[in-house]
Amino acid sequence: MHESYSLPAVLTLALAGLAATILFHYLIFRPKLNAQVRMRLLFGLGVLPAACAAASTAYGMHRTTERSFCGSCHVMTVHQEDAENPESNSLAARHARNPMFGGTNCYVCHADYGMLGYPMTKIGGMKHVYMYYLGGYSKMPIAEALKDIRVAKPYPNSNCMQCHSGGLASFKAVREHRALQEDLLSNRVACASAGCHGYSHPFNKDQPAEEHAQR
Amino acid sequence: MKARLSKLLAWWPTEKMLRVAAVTGIVALGLMVLGVLDPRPLQVVISMSVSQVFGVAAFFLFLLSVAADIVQARAKLQLQLEAARAAAANGGKDGGGATGAP
Repeated sequence: MHESYSLPAVLTLALAGLAATILFHYLIFRPKLNAQVRMRLLFGLGVLPAACAAASTAYGMHRTTERSFCGSCHVMTVHQEDAENPESNSLAARHARNPMFGGTNCYVCHADYGMLGYPMTKIGGMKHVYMYYLGGYSKMPIAEALKDIRVAKPYPNSNCMQCHSGGLASFKAVREHRALQEDLLSNRVACASAGCHGYSHPFNKDQPAEEHAQR
Repeated sequence: MKARLSKLLAWWPTEKMLRVAAVTGIVALGLMVLGVLDPRPLQVVISMSVSQVFGVAAFFLFLLSVAADIVQARAKLQLQLEAARAAAANGGKDGGGATGAP
């Protein structure tokens, strides 16, 4: 169980325990079906499992936003280790050290925003699970995965600009920001690129990480 | 549709199906708990999808079983009433002849 989000986890276990007790009691003692037994079974098969499903879904939804969850697929372990490395200067690692991102930095940066952002991100995540278990990634060596795995679509600057809105004077004071404003808004130039703020995960690009860190 | 449902409910083995529902429910609860105790991708996905399918199936079996129990109890009561009426009608005829017996 993960401690950072323990209430839904505890609720899931408690509700499942209660419902299972009712069901095991029914299976073992086989009481005659009367109004009282029906009511008990309504709780054991309806009310409690529904609440348990809601709690386990809440837990699962939160769990899928955590970095340790992303890193639990072996092809992502290098990304996870980099994000957790206090010595790393990659964009992802620097953001992971920020308490606003913390243990959910993968999700905060890669989630789509807007009204449908959350469900669309979760649906996209299902594709990742499919690709891992049925698309051959579970057997892929890490070295090969680092070369092969890329984001499904170009990383949108709008995700960066959820926090770095571009409205502050400090942002506008940077000459390149002013010159490239249109290109940044239309995604023609990426914030996380070699010429600007560097790649988020430089180790899976052609250039070595040390070279990136020296930029 | 209604006739088919009535036929199904009249045939439905209530006790057996309730046991199946209870076992299905326990499987569903086990899968939900699995996603919490071992939160790796496959387990979490199963916990949020397959377990709920099992849970809904168990609840549906329970609802059908309760409906079948009510329908079967009514049918049984109806039969008993008809039998009682028939007995009363026969008793009335026999009773008329019996009054003259010593």
